[in-house]
Amino acid sequence: MKITRAMELIAASRIPKATARVSASKPYSAKLVEVIRNVSAASGGASHMLLERREVKNAGVLIVASDRGLAGAYASSIIREAERHIIAVEKSGTPARLFVVGKKAQSYFHYRKYHIERAFLGVTDTPGYGDARAIANILMDAYASNTVDSVDTFYTQYKSPMTQVPLQFQLLPIVAPEGAEGSEPLASVDYSYEPSPTAILDRLLPRYVESTVFSMLLEASASEHSARRRAMKAATENADELIRILTRIANRARQAEITTEISEIVGGAEALSQQT
Amino acid sequence: MAKAFNVDVVSPEATVWSGEATFVVARTTEGEIGIMADHEPVMAALATGAVKIESDSEKVTIGVHGGFLQILNNQVTLLTDRAELSTGDADDARKIAEGLRELEEGAE
Repeated sequence: MKITRAMELIAASRIPKATARVSASKPYSAKLVEVIRNVSAASGGASHMLLERREVKNAGVLIVASDRGLAGAYASSIIREAERHIIAVEKSGTPARLFVVGKKAQSYFHYRKYHIERAFLGVTDTPGYGDARAIANILMDAYASNTVDSVDTFYTQYKSPMTQVPLQFQLLPIVAPEGAEGSEPLASVDYSYEPSPTAILDRLLPRYVESTVFSMLLEASASEHSARRRAMKAATENADELIRILTRIANRARQAEITTEISEIVGGAEALSQQT
Repeated sequence: MAKAFNVDVVSPEATVWSGEATFVVARTTEGEIGIMADHEPVMAALATGAVKIESDSEKVTIGVHGGFLQILNNQVTLLTDRAELSTGDADDARKIAEGLRELEEGAE
């Protein structure tokens, strides 16, 4: 009970930090989306390898789960969601290639004999941008070398301390990011580019993939911590309840024992007094 | 008093600096660029180096490694890969930027 209580407190202390990092990363991704929209509007729908849709011969799947358990249904619900997708994809005759984040997902899919292309461990607790970049680069390399023709990702979106939603999101090819609601369609801007529009786009799009992966990792991490807090809170409460019930049973047993003992003594004393 | 415009310096992990400025110097891959109010729209790739931001009340230097610079309607946005505020002058900021670059190359 002490352990679950401690874990609850640890997880609880990490939630604000994780959610703060989620919101700290928002300005960057929002600006990046804005810049990409401006550039693609200005360059008249420039095409790029990462934007082009092609026939899917190998479907890539990225699953963001957790390294550690004791977080209730957190890992299993996202894994279930992903597995459903994988089964559907494989049924249509397209082999799925798995990229997993977190030990839980790795051991689950490994045990079920799925082919895991790459596993990333030890990043879910406090993901850094470097982790996101490494994952994004591997995915983009796989995409560039035709190892996969699309990448779908599964992660848990952090909505509030009580609600986290497993989500599916198509990472590659990049779906033209939509602007924030209410933002008017942009008139094409005549930028002067340094160096060229294509060179800029070449650099922008990978950044976009990286920052998308990064925000996914952050959301997933915030979700994991709050799922763990909730699971540990429930565990603590259950343990409390159990302790109450067991204490009561123990007390009753002890009382019964004492009563028997007293009646034996009384009975014995009575027997002795009758003899004399 | 020179006309002021908005500047945002953001990195993936945080907003590094945000506020009004009258003059900004940054290093793009093509060379240094000085920005004052009513600059034409620019989209540029940033190089490793110091970014100087001057306003009427303060001067800030930021060490920056990689990213983009957008100028649009008196709104300057620096989308950096890595950035760190410098407490000293431009040389100090340059050192920070070099440090950021080494950090990045070490990570890969």
